[in-house]
Amino acid sequence: MRKALGLTWLLVVLTAGAYLAWQSAHGLPLRTDLMALLPQDERDPAAAAANDAVLQNLSKKILFLVGNPDRVQARAAAALLTRRLTESGLAEIATDGLGKDRLRQIGALYYPYRQGLLADADRERLLAGKEQELADRALSQVYGFMGIADARLLSRDPFLLLQSFFTSLPLPDSKLTLDDGMLTTSDGAMTWIFVSGQLTGEPYALDLQKALQSRIDLPGLAAAVPGTRVLKLGAVFFAEAGARQAIGESSTIGTVSTIGSVLVVLLAFRALAPLWLSLLVIGTGVGTALAGCLWLFGEVHVGALLFGVSLIGVSVDYSLQYCTEIFGRPATPQDRLRRVFGGIGLGTTTTVIGYLTLFLAPFPGLHQIAAFSAIGLVASWLTVVLWLPFLDRSKPPRHGAALLAAAMVLFSAWHAKPWKKARQAFLAVLLAAAFAGLFRLHADDDVRRMQSLDPGLAAEQDAILRLTGSTAGTQFFLVDAPDDETALSQEEALVERLRPLVAAGALAGFQAPAQYVPSAARQRENRALVQSRLAPLVDAQWDRLGLSGERPPSAPEDGWRPLTLADATGANGPLGFIRSLILHPGLHVVSLDRVTRPDAVTAAAAGLSGVRFVDPAGQFSALLAKYRQRALVLLAISGLLMAPVLLWRYGMKRSLVVMRAPVLAVLLTPPLLALTGAAFNFFDAMGLVLVLSIGMDYAVFCAETTDDRRPVTMLAVTLAAATALLSFGLLALSGAHAVSSFGSTMLTGILLAFLFAPWGSRPAEGSISPEKNAIWSANGDHRDSLGN
Amino acid sequence: MIRKILILVLCLLPGAAWALGPETALSADQVLRGRFHLERHLQGFRAPLQSEGVFLLAPGKGLIWQAEKPFAIRTVITPSGLAQDVGGSETMRLPSTRLPFLSKLYDMLGGALGGDWAALERDFVVEKSGDGAAWQVSLTPRQGSDPMAMPFSAIVARGGRFVESVTVAKAEGDHDDITFLDQKVSASPLAAEESAALGAPAR
Repeated sequence: MRKALGLTWLLVVLTAGAYLAWQSAHGLPLRTDLMALLPQDERDPAAAAANDAVLQNLSKKILFLVGNPDRVQARAAAALLTRRLTESGLAEIATDGLGKDRLRQIGALYYPYRQGLLADADRERLLAGKEQELADRALSQVYGFMGIADARLLSRDPFLLLQSFFTSLPLPDSKLTLDDGMLTTSDGAMTWIFVSGQLTGEPYALDLQKALQSRIDLPGLAAAVPGTRVLKLGAVFFAEAGARQAIGESSTIGTVSTIGSVLVVLLAFRALAPLWLSLLVIGTGVGTALAGCLWLFGEVHVGALLFGVSLIGVSVDYSLQYCTEIFGRPATPQDRLRRVFGGIGLGTTTTVIGYLTLFLAPFPGLHQIAAFSAIGLVASWLTVVLWLPFLDRSKPPRHGAALLAAAMVLFSAWHAKPWKKARQAFLAVLLAAAFAGLFRLHADDDVRRMQSLDPGLAAEQDAILRLTGSTAGTQFFLVDAPDDETALSQEEALVERLRPLVAAGALAGFQAPAQYVPSAARQRENRALVQSRLAPLVDAQWDRLGLSGERPPSAPEDGWRPLTLADATGANGPLGFIRSLILHPGLHVVSLDRVTRPDAVTAAAAGLSGVRFVDPAGQFSALLAKYRQRALVLLAISGLLMAPVLLWRYGMKRSLVVMRAPVLAVLLTPPLLALTGAAFNFFDAMGLVLVLSIGMDYAVFCAETTDDRRPVTMLAVTLAAATALLSFGLLALSGAHAVSSFGSTMLTGILLAFLFAPWGSRPAEGSISPEKNAIWSANGDHRDSLGN
Repeated sequence: MIRKILILVLCLLPGAAWALGPETALSADQVLRGRFHLERHLQGFRAPLQSEGVFLLAPGKGLIWQAEKPFAIRTVITPSGLAQDVGGSETMRLPSTRLPFLSKLYDMLGGALGGDWAALERDFVVEKSGDGAAWQVSLTPRQGSDPMAMPFSAIVARGGRFVESVTVAKAEGDHDDITFLDQKVSASPLAAEESAALGAPAR
């Protein structure tokens, strides 16, 4: 019977393996975009696409400031860098060829459409009936100090409206000035030349990062032009530094934790079998869980995968429970399984209940974690129960007595009389520290603090932002309309509301496609406005200017049509840079400079259909906050749902005693960590979910054991805690804030859960000391529940 | 066209500065005042555009160029930007952040006042002749004329103690002839209205 079950399970595992192999052959559908974790109903496809496109655009941007005390040298170094970047084919440089031709081309592009183009201020003057001011302005430009006077231009545009439109075009807020074809700024000591471009490839691809570093060769550049400093900014550089850090960390933290865990198991058992049996248990768990998740959801999010694998890592506790039994009374593998069956069965049940509560939240990410963990844990449990006894050829070890005696020290500490004072003092100190920590407890979900930025690059970023006066803002308005014309009209309405906000200092500036290409309706309106208000003034203006020759016809020129986005954004056109603001026809971006009052700016979109303020960093922070709150609520619910199982097994009074240890570990960890000044975030909350499950396992193992098996159980729990601390606790050392948050919560929580574990164990009758505790007790395993 | 402002401002410096160096240049608390007559020769116009008026140059503060005839057009250039009004109502206001050359202009102007010719010689071939009593300076753009960046083909200034006349030649035969009269250097403080005009920041 048991063989048949084992074979059936083998069949299931093989099926899952084949399914995984088949999926991998097609490329595993792993999702990495963070917004995929948002609840379906809250995720707007347009917003998601816009977010992706804008972030994609931003992440591909690279900026350099090439500085040298000498202007000529700075220019030479910048030219060299530009050439290297262009020749590498890795990036398209936008700051190349910013010469006079560019301005001339923009002029040539607008000229045929000039009748419909009006600067906002001119339009307002005409609407307010102040057309005489426009006439005077043209006069002042012809007669005035600047002396803009071109008879050919004036005869076609006697009020110089095109020139006014031209100078009203929005430029990104910047301290950079165009000096002989190069964007330049100076901080007194150095001349800085601005070089920027877009990567042609994926910034997170390691090979592109390496190729870029070697092709641009910044140290070589500084050597070629002495005295040159190069500042750089771009997601690719942060990603490269992050990858370097991650690789460094995984080779230190990863090596230490792997070697440590392996050593703990090897030293404890002095045999290889427990090691590979444990790996088999985890392996079947992860493989089956991944297959199950793909089958259920059609995809797996990388975030869910990472957490899920950690949660399944708990399953190593079950295999350790079984393997450690070899130190107990000599018995067949099946008998040894029988002894731990109750403990690991109950442990699995409570943990799976804990994870399944994650299904109650409407977050796809948590659903995947729940499914992944539940499937994986059940699979691991089945492997322990159905396979391990068959695969296990272990012989009773001879070194057990000392280990078992050592493992009993913790138990004695909780239940032996001489330790009573120390116990009380320990609990008092812990509670007092936690109480003090309560006052420092605070949450911080800011995604910008979750990433760990390379300090050198962060300093370069600050220097670049300071020198160029630009902003690193990623906030924007998204305009979602059925077509371009509607989108442009909506932008015109938005621009009208934003302009007073710029004057009031709520933001530094903005760029909307409609400022470069007004809607066709607006262009027709402008043309009619010019016709009705300015045409009557043409004769007088002509005389005042003293122009000779043919006067322009009073009727509008034939063949006029409005300028369209397609005209303006053609490939290689001078206004090509607007293309980054147009995601699809009808889906536009209005980019914003230095938003200081997000509330006021957000309110500008009120009542404009399809216009929405988007703040990717803010939205993701809000998402993390939501996840954090959900995770805490679910943590509480899962604690409550575990209760009935314990009540059924232990009754009211003992249930409370058993739950005391894991619940205290969960409750004490956040305030204790708060003492260090650390803020509580989603990753801490996820750590607590694990602490509850793991702590519950330890408490149940201790409660399920019998007096004669107690040393063996204590040894198994000690080994489990040691491996858990080595694999999760060491993450506290990570430089990535999210990872170290998770790690420090695990470190504190698991340590507490382990220390508290024997607390709820039923004290043995009589005196308890390792010396007197009979290791080979004659008591039978009356709690066996596995029938033959 | 912005460079033109620069050149004209430079030409308005007391002539002594050109020949003798910075010792006799305007000091920070001095003000140069005078009258000007401008004759603008342009193709496509029936006659040269003529205007005349007064100007004021205050180092570190800016320039007021006030045409009185035929139209009352005032141009004020300060480090923060350029403003123009006709008969008292403003027609144009360009902050130097919108017109970056304006701020560069002030860097160069500062250099010239301190005797630093490098800034000017980068863009022009500078030829000086004569002595402190009667001199001539001609500026020729190094990179040739260009309607956008360098709208001149040559600039010639003549003078003695002060700049007396400037001719700005443009491509296609257009040119401005400016004559300066009644120039006086004084240390008297600016009138309230002048201070206000120079002090008003361009936004």
